[in-house]
Amino acid sequence: MRRRAVAGLLVAVVFAQTQPAQAYLKFGVTIGGRRVTLKWAQRSARYFVSDQRVPGVATSDFQAALGRAFTTWQSVPTASISYQFAGLTVARPGQDDGLSTLGFESRPDLDRVLASTSFLIDGVTGELIESDIFFNSAFPWSVAQGGEANRYDLESIALHEIGHMSGLGHSALGETELREGGGRRVLGAEAVMFPIAFTAGSTAARALKADDIAGISDLYPDGDFDQAEGSVSGRVTKDGQAVFGAHVVAYDPVTRTMVGNFTLNAQGQFSIGGLSPGMHILRVEPLDDADLDSFFDVAVNPVDVDFKVTFFDSLVVVPRGGDSGEVTVKVVRK
Amino acid sequence: MRSLLLLFTSLVLVLPARATVLVPADLGELSRDALAIVRGRVVSVDARWTDDRRTIDTIVTLEVESYLKGTFGPTMQFRVPGGELGRFRSIVVGAPAFAVDQRVIVFLGAHGPSVPYIVGFSQGVYRVVRAADNTGWLVTPPPVLPSTAGTVPIVRGDVSRRPVALDDFERRVRALAGGAR
Repeated sequence: MRRRAVAGLLVAVVFAQTQPAQAYLKFGVTIGGRRVTLKWAQRSARYFVSDQRVPGVATSDFQAALGRAFTTWQSVPTASISYQFAGLTVARPGQDDGLSTLGFESRPDLDRVLASTSFLIDGVTGELIESDIFFNSAFPWSVAQGGEANRYDLESIALHEIGHMSGLGHSALGETELREGGGRRVLGAEAVMFPIAFTAGSTAARALKADDIAGISDLYPDGDFDQAEGSVSGRVTKDGQAVFGAHVVAYDPVTRTMVGNFTLNAQGQFSIGGLSPGMHILRVEPLDDADLDSFFDVAVNPVDVDFKVTFFDSLVVVPRGGDSGEVTVKVVRK
Repeated sequence: MRSLLLLFTSLVLVLPARATVLVPADLGELSRDALAIVRGRVVSVDARWTDDRRTIDTIVTLEVESYLKGTFGPTMQFRVPGGELGRFRSIVVGAPAFAVDQRVIVFLGAHGPSVPYIVGFSQGVYRVVRAADNTGWLVTPPPVLPSTAGTVPIVRGDVSRRPVALDDFERRVRALAGGAR
């Protein structure tokens, strides 16, 4: 299990102070009282594919679909992460064995989980030992180019999970509806990293959105990303008090793209990076329709959802390679 | 400007990993699917090796205050994947976190003679918290209730989407668990 000498798999946790600003939630842990963010130190991550198969998905097709999803992430021109297929394995995801493995598993206890990503970390050194992705074989899967009715699109779900494997958390840029007769479904999402899946048969989540691109570029900036893009930062308050967990969205009316993040500390501060220079509309909304555990450690940080949607009262100018300067958005109770 | 940005960068680092694609459930589905629904106080959170010793999971023990559906006894346990054991920390992202003395309502399932699990993963956990004005107990996050008005979008910021009073939440759950819609 502790084969931490496996070549290429031992990746160190890197302190994030080298990053200029963030889009997105990033994964973080506290090691020895230090706050560290999880990301691959080497910008080339190796992964194995489990040879476990499920009905309708041959191992070669599974591997190919994963390969397409990895390629989508590493094709982002402003990010430098890459991924290498290391081979097929009899190992299974979820085993703490030092191998980063993607594969199917039967997990009836994860009854509504299509797929999930896990990390094994050395709690003393902070080393990220491995990251696995499991796909729940209890669900019907498809690798068909155009998708298949009543089957979940493996490439779409893999794209989401690989975002996590790369260090990205969830985005709240999505909208859902309640269905007559019961149940809930996604109406639309402006991020692959939205945590709720489209209905079976959809292939809508095979393409990255501006929010995803901002996130991966923020973690692994390449080229002139830092100089070409900008950020907006500020605070959200209610009755003069800081608001934790408010969802803040920057919308560019020219490109019609949006990037989001959250207020993430006791001062109610937020920062959204990876924005195209120019005017942005800033909207603040409560995460009152969500499973908060998907976003935050609510056992530690109570999230305030008792406020109305609020737009900042003027357009915010995002400068090229710089920050807007602090913007304060005051929200009011519902 | 630079120092301000560096400050913001440090904001995110305490967030634990959360990373799962879910099939969404409303409160009616959770209530019907659960074998048991329990309100209780967390008295212990213990990581362990799984029976096959291939990974780590965590056993959460509740001192039961009330069962809204089913029963497991005055204290009961359920498991969540991941945990910290010795120097190794296994993070199964999306798994909800628990702390001793928290009050929670959990929707539980079970397969055979095993420790129960949470139905709907993180969707099957609600926290019981004191109201800001100290007048009572609230349940958060706001539940996603089954629609009674056809297919309708869920709108963030809707004034009706607030943490609900504990007794109101439990009344709704009991009704939904019993099949009433």
